[in-house]
Amino acid sequence: MHRPARWPIHLTLLAVSAVMLVPFYWVLKTSVTGENIFAYPPSLIPKAPHPFYYVDAWYYIPFARYFLNSVAVSAIAVVANLLFNALAGYALIRPFPGRASVVLLFLSCMMVPFQATIIPAYLITGRLGLLDSYWGLALPQCSTIVCIFVFKASFEAVPRSLIDAARIDGLSEWRIIWKIMLPLAKAAVATNVILAFIWSWNNFLWPLIVTRSADMQTLPLGLARFLSYQEDTTGALYAFCVMVLAPGILLFLLAQQEFIRGLTSGATKG
Amino acid sequence: MSGDALEPPRWRRLMVNRFVLVPAAIAVVISLWNIYVVTHDHGVVIGRVVDDAGRPVGDATVVLWVLNFTTYVEKARATTAPDGRFQLVNAESHNLQLIAEKPGVGRSARVPVRLYFRAEDVELEQPLVLSAGG
Repeated sequence: MHRPARWPIHLTLLAVSAVMLVPFYWVLKTSVTGENIFAYPPSLIPKAPHPFYYVDAWYYIPFARYFLNSVAVSAIAVVANLLFNALAGYALIRPFPGRASVVLLFLSCMMVPFQATIIPAYLITGRLGLLDSYWGLALPQCSTIVCIFVFKASFEAVPRSLIDAARIDGLSEWRIIWKIMLPLAKAAVATNVILAFIWSWNNFLWPLIVTRSADMQTLPLGLARFLSYQEDTTGALYAFCVMVLAPGILLFLLAQQEFIRGLTSGATKG
Repeated sequence: MSGDALEPPRWRRLMVNRFVLVPAAIAVVISLWNIYVVTHDHGVVIGRVVDDAGRPVGDATVVLWVLNFTTYVEKARATTAPDGRFQLVNAESHNLQLIAEKPGVGRSARVPVRLYFRAEDVELEQPLVLSAGG
């Protein structure tokens, strides 16, 4: 049987990938050359690359401190997301009165932008005494509705008979989640980890509002501070951007298989 | 032989995977780099001063400038030995500039020196060249 040639598809995919990757390449290239990004004609190959803009970015602002803050806040957000979203996702596959209404409420809440809820979120965080702290920075990101639905879709794919068998064997609901559901939902876990990490890592508005001391600022705020200090350092600015982007890209590359599987796990169900 | 016998032990499955090995490799590289930094951060700058003809210039004054946020400020001075060599200390910056001068011989261009970390010990590959028009 004659199989259609696949090279046109691969060629097209390569071209599309190249277009998608060009901005990243340009950021990387500028970070090691400091070339003016508006230079014409643009040079594709970096001329006399060197790593010293990274050194500048490291010392112009307290990068290590901001990095530590971002890591701490993201770690709290990731762990809390796994915990709360898994519990909520499991609850949504269990029958209880008003479940459809809860799902509808969650879906409708997705339409409310965070900016609209930022004042109550600030007041709640203030009342809890968490302003200017890691817990306060992570609090609004401790659960996300999209990730709850990722867990829900993944848990729905687990055969009902397996849960019933676990219950007959005497497992509590908690242990069913941790021993049965989560090991079978590795893709959903990876998706939660990546999304929670990236959203928390890149968050700008909430840390801007909730932090008061410079020592508690995260990397996106550091980037804004960097821009206000250094107006004419294209290379260092792009080096800073690469340093901010690198952890998220690394995490995605590590868990990309599970991430893609997690996002598409609910797509094939009838 | 059963299938279980071929399965690696639990600790191996937990430790030998990309989620552990990649961060561990990064941690090792960072640790090695920090050890290198700690053992090479005395702020010592060593170099040589020569004239137009490449002859060493003794008794020349070498001035060290360091980046102070946005501008360079003078940090230290040294005088060259008869063989033209000089040594500066306390170069506590990652971005330096050097200039050498000797009355009657000339002055060098201001030479930028970029370092990989703050106060890195460095020996200049190229000498500072004094010229009458410098």
